[in-house]
Amino acid sequence: MAIRGSAILGALALAGVSLFGLSAKAEDVTINVWSLDRDIQPAPNLIADFNKLNTGIKVEYRQIQFDDVVSEAMRAYSTGQAPDIIAIDNPEHALFSSRGAFLDLTEMIAKSTVVKTSNYFPGPLASTMWDGKNYGLPKATNTIALYYNKDMFKAKGLDPNKPPQTWDELVDAARKLTDPSANVYGLAFSAKANEEGTFQFLPWVQMAGGSYEHINSEGAVKALDIWKTIIAEKLASPDTLTRGQWDSTGTFNSGNAAMAISGPWELDRMVSEAKFDWGAALLPVPEVGAERSSAMGDFNWAIFSNTQHPAEAFKVLEYFASQDDRMFKDFGQLPARSDIAIPETGVPLKDAALKVFIEQLKFAKPRGPHPEWPKISKAIQDAIQAALTGQMTSKEALDQAAEKIKAVLG
Amino acid sequence: MKRFLSSIIDGRGFDIGLVSLPLAFLLTLSGLPLLYNIVMSFQEVDMFSLGSFWRPFVGFKNYRDLFAQPETWPILANTATFVVASIVGQFLVGFGLALFFWTNFPGASWLRGLFLVSWVMPGLVVGAIWNWILSGDFGVLNFILRETGLIDGNIFWRSDPGFSLWAVIIANIWLGTSFNMILLSVGLSAIPRDLYEASELDGANVWQRFWTITLPMMRSSIGAIIALGLIFTLQQFDLFAAITSGGPNNASNVTQYWAWDLSFRQYDFAKGATISVIMIVFVMIASVVYVRSTRHEVRG
Repeated sequence: MAIRGSAILGALALAGVSLFGLSAKAEDVTINVWSLDRDIQPAPNLIADFNKLNTGIKVEYRQIQFDDVVSEAMRAYSTGQAPDIIAIDNPEHALFSSRGAFLDLTEMIAKSTVVKTSNYFPGPLASTMWDGKNYGLPKATNTIALYYNKDMFKAKGLDPNKPPQTWDELVDAARKLTDPSANVYGLAFSAKANEEGTFQFLPWVQMAGGSYEHINSEGAVKALDIWKTIIAEKLASPDTLTRGQWDSTGTFNSGNAAMAISGPWELDRMVSEAKFDWGAALLPVPEVGAERSSAMGDFNWAIFSNTQHPAEAFKVLEYFASQDDRMFKDFGQLPARSDIAIPETGVPLKDAALKVFIEQLKFAKPRGPHPEWPKISKAIQDAIQAALTGQMTSKEALDQAAEKIKAVLG
Repeated sequence: MKRFLSSIIDGRGFDIGLVSLPLAFLLTLSGLPLLYNIVMSFQEVDMFSLGSFWRPFVGFKNYRDLFAQPETWPILANTATFVVASIVGQFLVGFGLALFFWTNFPGASWLRGLFLVSWVMPGLVVGAIWNWILSGDFGVLNFILRETGLIDGNIFWRSDPGFSLWAVIIANIWLGTSFNMILLSVGLSAIPRDLYEASELDGANVWQRFWTITLPMMRSSIGAIIALGLIFTLQQFDLFAAITSGGPNNASNVTQYWAWDLSFRQYDFAKGATISVIMIVFVMIASVVYVRSTRHEVRG
């Protein structure tokens, strides 16, 4: 009797627990979000704020490492464990959307009162598209422009208010500014054999009328020739080939390079480290009046297609989008929105540079979008490195890249 | 039943139990992944079929494709250079140091212990430090070479295709020397002193003693250290990631880094697996050498 009694009690307790669990489930929909943002970056903070609103949607956050984003997401998706929402690096967005791993948001966006595609810069928006449909929303954005040391410009008789406008002017200025005896290179940039190299080189190709589909066009060859000149004449450090953008720009901050090509992520460090007057300018173009272009970086939000709660997940995205105006003020990142003005920071050098980056963003183009982007990018990196080490001419290297890319595009 | 139980507590069953535990551990955590890797190298794998085992088999296509790529042979050659130069460098410097500390001057054992610091450091940290030392414009190595008049202009260790592989080799020799030294020191101390005394009485000089006693007595230690060196250098990944990333233009790319790059940068898992299979073959050869050369130790 005693045994039976406790068995009944146990069963009741179990039923109670499961009932309680069920009722909790009926109240709150749980949405899982993965991104690489740390505690001081947007995602965890926006999620905490969202959970405080008690909308009946509970968002759970998981931080993943940059190197693991794609492989983790892939593994999770193929085993049915994917989160509802993920932040994905923009060149990798198409890999997922082309395979139907991401949810088509076109209709939801059309009906939404919060999200309007016309509010976004064209480049970031294009990176979320595949086959004319929206598969995500830009999370933040960045691009690259030319930083230059105004004090060095003055010292070498260049006008500090007239940064180089064209490629030829850039090379000329670099020649004048290079001073081996003082350990100063004219320019710092990155031609590293990873995504950074492609990120820096592709804008040059696009300005000259080329693209990744036409990587061996005349303009692209000219662009690589200019890079070759810069490296061969030691107007930039030979270590440009193995150094990332962050380290390269470090040499600009320490006064060992007179100009640098990099993005707005450098601003805070530059303000604190650079002990000279500096400015930013739009990337020089092939010739006056030529088409402008620039690189486009940062992550996009997307919803996995096997989510149980597409409507709720989209509500979370809508909330994220509605907070885009905090992106810069609270987290120092640029929202991918043309309708949001970047507030003044009170640091004149930084504010002036930010204006240039916002202007440059209008011309920013996504890498791809293409599901096999990593392979395309690798072909471009190989070409850059083969040409800059002098093992091939620019034409040969880009012809080879074009062949590899053609094989990928099919 | 009782006999069975008692054999588990004390007897054959106990031995089998002891052996089967690590064996099961090895099979699940090393054997299965190894087989899986081999199977994968004969399949067509992409990111979306990563989760399933039954993927289309493509025969030797991955192998054919791999060897059709222009960078394959140079990378294999780089790997060979890297392995041979690293092992020779590590062994010579390590053996030299071991012999030096063997003379047992005051404080020798302390100094020998301190040398292990380099072995304890994580590869990425070592890589980051060598990255500064080898830096073209501001590197310490260039500064020393310039000040001593050995070179006129800076050598761009990381970015010059002629030097980049050697830059990693130098760092790797530094990293592996102390391990070589310790293992060889152990070997040296195991040689009975009376052998030397006897040969000294017979009038053998230092040189003759080294060639006829030290080296032959060290044979198994040397075989083991070279086999282990081969395995460790084929494993060396951190230094490449930290110093050259395989660049410029694959001049310092080696199979282990390339396999990672193919799998996790370009998401070409099948090719990554294919390279790993090729590497397994070499590591197997090294293991056979290792097992054969350490066999004597077990008997003794």
